[in-house]
Amino acid sequence: MVNKIIPDTKTKGHRDLVEDVIKAGLCIYCGACANGCPYLIASHGRIIVLDNCDRTEGQCYQFCPRTFTDMDALARKIFGQPFSNAEFGFANELLLARSTDKQIQDRCQDGGVVTTLLCLGLEAGIIDAALAARMNVDKTPHGFVARTKEQLLECTGTSYEPCPTLQTLNQLPDDSNEKFAVVSLPCHSEAIAKMKTYSTRNRVSIENVKLVIGLFCGWTLAEGFHQFMQERFDLPSVVKFDIPHHPGHTFDAFYEDGSKKDIELEDIRDFINPACTFCWDMTAELADVSVGSGRAKYRGWNTLIVRTEAGAEIVALAKERGLLETQPLPEENVTNLRRAALNKKKNAVRELRAKYDGQLGYLGLSETIAQKLSSD
Amino acid sequence: MTDIDIHAPGRVELLLGNEAIARGALEAGVGFISGYPGTPSSEVIPTIAAIAKRNNIYAEWAANEKVAMEAAAGASFAGIRSMAVMKQNGVNVAVDFIGNLQMTGIKAGMVLLVADDPGPLSSSNEEDTRIVAKWMDFPLLEPCCAQEAKDMTKWAFEVSEQCGLICMVRTVSRIGHTRANVKLGELPEVEKKAYYKDTWNMYHPTKGIHCTVGGFDAGLHPGKIKKFATVKKIFAEAPQEFNWYTGPDKPELLIITSGVAYIYSKEALKILKLEDKVGILKLGTTWPLPEEIVEKHLTNTEKILFVEELEPFLERNVMELAANLPSGTPHINFHGMRSGHMRGYGDVNVDLVIDAVLKIVGGTYEPRDMTYGSEIEELAKAVPGRPWELCPGCPYRPFFWTVKTALQIDGRDGFSLVDVGCYTLGAFNAGYWQGRTTHAMGSSFGVSCGLGKLQQFGFSQPILAMVGDSTFFHASIPALVSGTWNNANFIAVVMDNSATAMTGHQPHPGLATTVMGDPATPISTEAVCRSMGCRVEVCDPFDMEATKNVILDLLSDDGGVKVLIVSRLCELVRARAEKKPPFKVHVDPEKCIGEDCGCARLCTRMFHCPGLMWDEKAGKAVIDEIMCAGCGVCADICPKGAIIKEAT
Repeated sequence: MVNKIIPDTKTKGHRDLVEDVIKAGLCIYCGACANGCPYLIASHGRIIVLDNCDRTEGQCYQFCPRTFTDMDALARKIFGQPFSNAEFGFANELLLARSTDKQIQDRCQDGGVVTTLLCLGLEAGIIDAALAARMNVDKTPHGFVARTKEQLLECTGTSYEPCPTLQTLNQLPDDSNEKFAVVSLPCHSEAIAKMKTYSTRNRVSIENVKLVIGLFCGWTLAEGFHQFMQERFDLPSVVKFDIPHHPGHTFDAFYEDGSKKDIELEDIRDFINPACTFCWDMTAELADVSVGSGRAKYRGWNTLIVRTEAGAEIVALAKERGLLETQPLPEENVTNLRRAALNKKKNAVRELRAKYDGQLGYLGLSETIAQKLSSD
Repeated sequence: MTDIDIHAPGRVELLLGNEAIARGALEAGVGFISGYPGTPSSEVIPTIAAIAKRNNIYAEWAANEKVAMEAAAGASFAGIRSMAVMKQNGVNVAVDFIGNLQMTGIKAGMVLLVADDPGPLSSSNEEDTRIVAKWMDFPLLEPCCAQEAKDMTKWAFEVSEQCGLICMVRTVSRIGHTRANVKLGELPEVEKKAYYKDTWNMYHPTKGIHCTVGGFDAGLHPGKIKKFATVKKIFAEAPQEFNWYTGPDKPELLIITSGVAYIYSKEALKILKLEDKVGILKLGTTWPLPEEIVEKHLTNTEKILFVEELEPFLERNVMELAANLPSGTPHINFHGMRSGHMRGYGDVNVDLVIDAVLKIVGGTYEPRDMTYGSEIEELAKAVPGRPWELCPGCPYRPFFWTVKTALQIDGRDGFSLVDVGCYTLGAFNAGYWQGRTTHAMGSSFGVSCGLGKLQQFGFSQPILAMVGDSTFFHASIPALVSGTWNNANFIAVVMDNSATAMTGHQPHPGLATTVMGDPATPISTEAVCRSMGCRVEVCDPFDMEATKNVILDLLSDDGGVKVLIVSRLCELVRARAEKKPPFKVHVDPEKCIGEDCGCARLCTRMFHCPGLMWDEKAGKAVIDEIMCAGCGVCADICPKGAIIKEAT
């Protein structure tokens, strides 16, 4: 089947969303299209169209990170300049960082930087609430609005399944004046960037989102993965998941009693979300700050990329108040980061060109950058 | 309004056709009447029930038409004149019993009143039941107006008693549901004494036995043939004329017709001014055909047009007779459904008869000037469409809405099947196109017994089979038993609004009062289902969130038949009992931002309860205070919370 080429940039409606994105195998379940209206919801791992809204254009199509995206327009809105050709996007500072807060240290995935910044944001009045992924008892993640440190602590730890977090953003009261932070996978941050660029209507104002904390991401584990885990782990008793970086080769589950159970990475490769193959963004380039793990050499630390003014302000404040311990990101790590991020971009470009008969599909890149990403 | 049992022979009353039938039964001294509600027959039983007690009559609604037929036969066996009343589909339900009853015969006069619904105007199908009389060998009478309906019904009891077979009186919507002048007859003084006299006779054990098995008392079928043969004579001695000819001595064209088609034929000839050229042979005793009068007129013309509805019943029967005419009889040209002059579907009207007649005798008829047709077509464009709709406040509306949502969430191409009742509207816009099949009462459970056993062929679509509370008792229980026992995988939904609503809120076995106003112990649907051992859940359709979760839970349950009882009172029943609405509902004009909302008019376009309107000028939704039932469900629909409900 020849995939439809999407040269035209016109915004369309939900029928086109279904054709161009969902049926085309691009949907990464970010939730940007869901719950903004009564017709689309995110549930049971799928975007579900409940009925025919009959509109020929809508925000569902406009904000989806997998409909045509003019990267320059987004970058101009967030950074005041065209899309960066750097492997991991705009970076004011590259750091290793970790929390000094014992409570956070006890629960966090790596360095606890995300939770620390959010707690600080609440305390300093930079934000009134944070939208993050929180795992249910059975470990499925869902969007959650945290307004206290206690609630933030419930959102710690990585879930490797897709989470339609933005559905929760769309559900906030229209007239809310709360200032928000959103913890985003790269796809979430792309959708938020589109919302900022084109403005949200008839829902909570996107101007309320003051801080986007991006997370590094290679892929998510989707269809069938949860069932797979359920058969192998006692999920309610798991306190943490982890995929230790190279040379690691396992998917680990840690229990309350300190014990660990693992499965071979080889056994879960089949669950990698095929839609993630078309994703260019490893480091959440459109966020205010982006946070990843410190990798094998710096276990217990986060890689922290500071990108925007808003990002720089809160990181500086955290350092000032002694909430974060930081050091510059070592050269070796920077090199690895460049390589990994570039690889993901190149893979995405290659897959998109194969899918769209030489074109780049949703990825609206300038010629120069497109060329660079297409060379071997 | 005069009572139907008034003693006033000769008095002329304006009666509904079905009321006239009730009067006819009274004038025959009927003692027992049973049936099942079905348009266009429903009024007969309540009319009699209202005066039953003071006239020593027993009237009831049975669970279905087969039971009604059996009950009426029981009364007849014991010497009480009885009547069974139903629509065309009811005959289909009763026909197994009729086939057997005709072999054993009846005792006291027993009339089968069948009201067909050509169109259909209000049925799942249209069907001509006259053929049943020919199929099963019993006499058939077709009234052409309310007067005949009364007179024929009365006479039918005598016919039945004289030949020992049931006698069928067959009407259509336009007879049963038209009001006309009817001259009343005498009401008899009848002693009604019930006794079944064919009990065991030790000297002649097989005498009087009512048993068909093995053609007992060899000669049951030949016996039926003999009984039927007597009907010709009985018809010939009818107390009044039901078959007549009107027209010229030697007509250019002879119309042979019966029932309401006679009225259309008469009117057509009057309009065309052809009464002196075209004759009408109107038949009222249509099975067996009155051979003498038919043959007489067959040999008097060379062109015949059969005007009747739905099936070429008269047409074929007359042609059979014609085959036996003496050789040398001039060739007759028959016109009717076979020749394409009349159509085999829908009810007949004057225009169709006019067209057919002119095609045969030639000539033209211009009812009005040429431009009228195109003018009307233009005008019609301005008339808003009026699809069927459920009442404001109907519990089925939010239920179908929730089913739609749940099936989309489930995502496995699940679908619903519906039976016959208000909930049939689930299959249309009113119920968001949720019902994908509709057949007879009980069929949705039955069809699901098949669909629910196709796993070995890869079938994985979830199914919801929906029936109403009255349908449940009518026909669904055997299928539910069969499906449960055979472990078919489907959700059996009983839409319980505590009413046989579509046909006029007649009582059924789930309710506490009979048609005669006597108290009854309601039979609990829930208890019946639980007794079969299947999983049973009950939900309130007004709580859409909870209902959705129950449905999703049931959809993911692969264990055989699951029953979901959707329980909330029919709004019309509730409104009559409680008078005031539970909520006062209005749209907050500040919160409703109309087209700007982006919800694409979810309330009026998608949910479309008649209580919701769109104010074109203001560009917002508004509640129609006259239509709104105050159920408050729409308050949960609006994504902006602009619909406000306040408890009254």
